[in-house]
Amino acid sequence: MTRLEATQVIVELAGAAPIVASLGHPAYDLFAAGDRPQNFYTWGSMGLASSVGLGLALARPDFRVVVLDGDGSLLMNLGSLATIGLLRPANLVLVVMDNEEYATTGGQPTPTAHGADLEAAARAMAIAATATVRTEAELRTFLKQGSESTPAPVSGPVFIVAKVTESAPTAKPPLDCVFIKQRFMAGIGETEPATEGKPL
Amino acid sequence: MTAPLWASGVCTGVHAAGSRDVVYVPDNPLSHVLQVFQHQFRDVRLILATREEEAFGIAAGLYLGGRLPTVMLQSSGLGNSLNALTSLLIPYQIPVLTVVSMRGDVGEWNAAQAPMGRAVRAIFESIGMPHSTVESAETAAEAVRLAGKTAFGTRIGNACLLPRRVTTMTTGSDPRGDRRRGLTP
Repeated sequence: MTRLEATQVIVELAGAAPIVASLGHPAYDLFAAGDRPQNFYTWGSMGLASSVGLGLALARPDFRVVVLDGDGSLLMNLGSLATIGLLRPANLVLVVMDNEEYATTGGQPTPTAHGADLEAAARAMAIAATATVRTEAELRTFLKQGSESTPAPVSGPVFIVAKVTESAPTAKPPLDCVFIKQRFMAGIGETEPATEGKPL
Repeated sequence: MTAPLWASGVCTGVHAAGSRDVVYVPDNPLSHVLQVFQHQFRDVRLILATREEEAFGIAAGLYLGGRLPTVMLQSSGLGNSLNALTSLLIPYQIPVLTVVSMRGDVGEWNAAQAPMGRAVRAIFESIGMPHSTVESAETAAEAVRLAGKTAFGTRIGNACLLPRRVTTMTTGSDPRGDRRRGLTP
């Protein structure tokens, strides 16, 4: 399964759910798989996609939040797993596109190429619903499981390692960060706080 | 124990700025603020982060979901936060009220805290993030409120600095840790 194929499955099953994508190839593939207002593309802050998704999931427990992370990115912010395991938002689905390399920067192997097990890390941080998937069918099955009757308190956060092969991205999302934010917030029915137009 | 005035002021200011979500990495003076939130501001959600950069990431997500977030950290954690501030919050215009408990300023006893303490204001200025300093316990509430209102109005994060002169050297601000270290004034 290429990362793009895995991303296409996720977009298809996400419905109207917001998707937060880590910078670089995960964001590029999300754009290629299906640009939509509910996509939040990051252009920096490597490692923080899961944290942004966590904050969004806490703010909006009424819908499911999907995060597309990378193995290299998550390894920059492993503490995030502890925080997710602590807060356990039932509506958060964290998918790590694990290609075992820093693909965006030239393909240097990550520790997952040498046995680092991110699913085991998630379980060790008290995230109960976890899986490592290698095919589109497995990914599809597990994602459907994770989406049942959200936000059911028993379902807890879902953590999926998708073992993917690298596929050269074919497109890039818009570069205007403020545009991305405004379109995203409008897409999930949020408005930024308006200034009161008077002295504070 | 009665909460120190400056700590109650911080909570009042955060609340008055409209923020109901506080993401934090613990710090000794900030423990007073956390206690006031827990006991007197039950509508404020406290979210523990493992690292300051993560705290800003969570805050960004909260803002995207319609909340007005606050991050509380010790100044030593500003270094950990810079990538989040400069490549997420500032370019996307995601405002966060940032409350900074200062180390390394007047009254510091630990040399390891001094370099970042000296650098905090210069760092905020060089990345284009406005900051102000709470001058006394009495003015904490208004300073924090204004920082928050300015942040959420302008969509640029705004930092309010709490010097040790205010947090650890005033009557009633006697955190257990400081007593252990013999720093009680």
